[in-house]
Amino acid sequence: MAGTVLSRPPQLTRDLTSFEKAFYLYQKRLNERLAMPFSRYFYYNKGTPADPEWKRKFASRKTPSRDIGVYDAYGDEGWNDEVLVGDQTGERESVVESLIRDAEGKSIVEEAEKDKGAPIAGDPQIGEGQRREAVRIEVERPQARLTEADRSGDEKSLNRKLDRTLYLIVKNGEGRWRFPEDRIYGRENLHQAAERILVQSCGINMNTWLVGNHPIGQHTHHYPSTSGPITSLILANPLVGTSKEMEREEYGEKLFFMKARIMAGQPELKENAYGLKEWAWLAKEEVEKKVGRGYWSSVRNMLAER
Amino acid sequence: MAVQEVTSAFLKRFSARPSPLQHVWAAQCRHASTNVETGQETQGMETSDFSEGQNEGGQDIGRFDPAGVARKRGRKLPPSRYQFRSPRYYRGPLHPHQPLKPSDPASREFEAGPFSLPRLEQTYHDTLASDYMVMAYQHHPPGYEAPKKGDRLRPWVGDSPYYKNRPLRGPRGGDVLKLLRKPITFQNVPQLERVTVHTMVKGAIDDGAYLHVAGMVLQAITNMRAESHAAKRSVAGFGIRAGQHLSLTCDLRGETMYHFLSKLVDVVLPKIKDWPGVKGSSGDSSGDIALGLRPEDMTLFPEIEVNYDMYPPRMIPGCHIIVHTSATNEQDARVLLSQIGIPFYGKLIN
Repeated sequence: MAGTVLSRPPQLTRDLTSFEKAFYLYQKRLNERLAMPFSRYFYYNKGTPADPEWKRKFASRKTPSRDIGVYDAYGDEGWNDEVLVGDQTGERESVVESLIRDAEGKSIVEEAEKDKGAPIAGDPQIGEGQRREAVRIEVERPQARLTEADRSGDEKSLNRKLDRTLYLIVKNGEGRWRFPEDRIYGRENLHQAAERILVQSCGINMNTWLVGNHPIGQHTHHYPSTSGPITSLILANPLVGTSKEMEREEYGEKLFFMKARIMAGQPELKENAYGLKEWAWLAKEEVEKKVGRGYWSSVRNMLAER
Repeated sequence: MAVQEVTSAFLKRFSARPSPLQHVWAAQCRHASTNVETGQETQGMETSDFSEGQNEGGQDIGRFDPAGVARKRGRKLPPSRYQFRSPRYYRGPLHPHQPLKPSDPASREFEAGPFSLPRLEQTYHDTLASDYMVMAYQHHPPGYEAPKKGDRLRPWVGDSPYYKNRPLRGPRGGDVLKLLRKPITFQNVPQLERVTVHTMVKGAIDDGAYLHVAGMVLQAITNMRAESHAAKRSVAGFGIRAGQHLSLTCDLRGETMYHFLSKLVDVVLPKIKDWPGVKGSSGDSSGDIALGLRPEDMTLFPEIEVNYDMYPPRMIPGCHIIVHTSATNEQDARVLLSQIGIPFYGKLIN
């Protein structure tokens, strides 16, 4: 028998651990201390509007880097480069926030009454003490790492768990969750069978590709010896030209898994040939909860950790 | 007798009971398939202030302010008590003043980093490497023996007395021994080793300013200081004299390399007009593949785009980018690069 392990690779980078965040922030600050000074004149020409903007930003954060907080690397307190416990500077949200503030022309830290706007030029009577709002630049924020599907727990969406590999598992007629699987008919190969199984179980509404012609894992199951072999009648498969109707004794099953990746689309179980009832896109640890123990022990080592 | 008793008591002290030791060992063994959730990373570690965050002793942590304490401290230690300079020269293993290891921040050779976990590196480890192994797997039935190949180096056959004890003869058709291709397993999936960005600045023959501009361009796009190389010998036809500095290279590894490659693949190459891809015959038949960028393509790098005006016009050079992979032939290297997203065109050679 052949099974198809259809997966969606991770779309996002993984979350950093707390140690990694602290380490990267420390290394960035250390680099500020050790690197040559920023060559301002090369990037901001004198007399251009970018020059005073740069000076204003630099004065507030004291360092050319935008994502390491307020830190004066060349000053007397440059040695104080380690952030205190509970500091949020190295967190992803605050790094993104400071980069966006910088792109919007604000300084990375909140300032009191300073970037409210420029004084109105022209009419001195009306303009006295009033401030015009400076041109507001809206920078598009990055999309959230958690999607709607994550929040609603929608296991059928491909947009869930963007930083993990998702696997397609289906619930068969007996109520067992497994990867899509079927017999091999006639003279077809494993990889031909894997492609056919995808079509016959989940329809043609998926854009997939088979990674290799070799199986990535196998699962063997012997029928209980007390009951003896099972005589099964195997009908010919309409999609395989070489298959014929036959009857044979079977002592168990050997299942070989083929690796496939999905690029677009979703399964459709309406016209599936195997009586499948349900499907889900699950990460590795969720697959463990759904499938049986024996099946899991043969499958676990071929699933990616992330 | 006394000696025996002492010995046995000594040995007894060191022999621990078997069961707890085994338990500890089993707890430490983590198989590749054992599930580790991100929240559980610190479960096995002993708790400390670092892992606890601000939970314990909140007041004490709030009061901890090293900079404030230092500011209040009136009396300062002389700088010689806390400032350490690593010796400039290595004066041998017996000298009392030894230079520090390069990993020590006080060392002269210390380089800070890494600063991030590149996306391409993560993709390689999570997706590309396992896919590559599936694609390159070669199945052999049990009992299969690989056919024996002849020695690549030939003996000297003949009557000449000088053939005795002479080193073996090189392969036919040239004296270069090509790298052997081993079957790909989980231990030797090809990966990126380094990227060399190289430019030979023709304008620098007459005007040294070209070299400086090229150095700034390379530094901007690679995030590394470019290294200049002198011409080895004079070539009258090109007007080159030996010792003239005409070319620059940047050797990128690790994080810098991954960032540069993803920038190239995701930003620069898609913007080049009518770019057919990398030529299929590119490579040195040992797993290194080169591609070239014209001067007008260099301006597509975002680092050059932001302050394009600061570079003198017509002095921006083109460059060669050589991607060194751990593959031993071109075909394997091409598969890896196509996985990353670099297309190839034309006849694929080797």
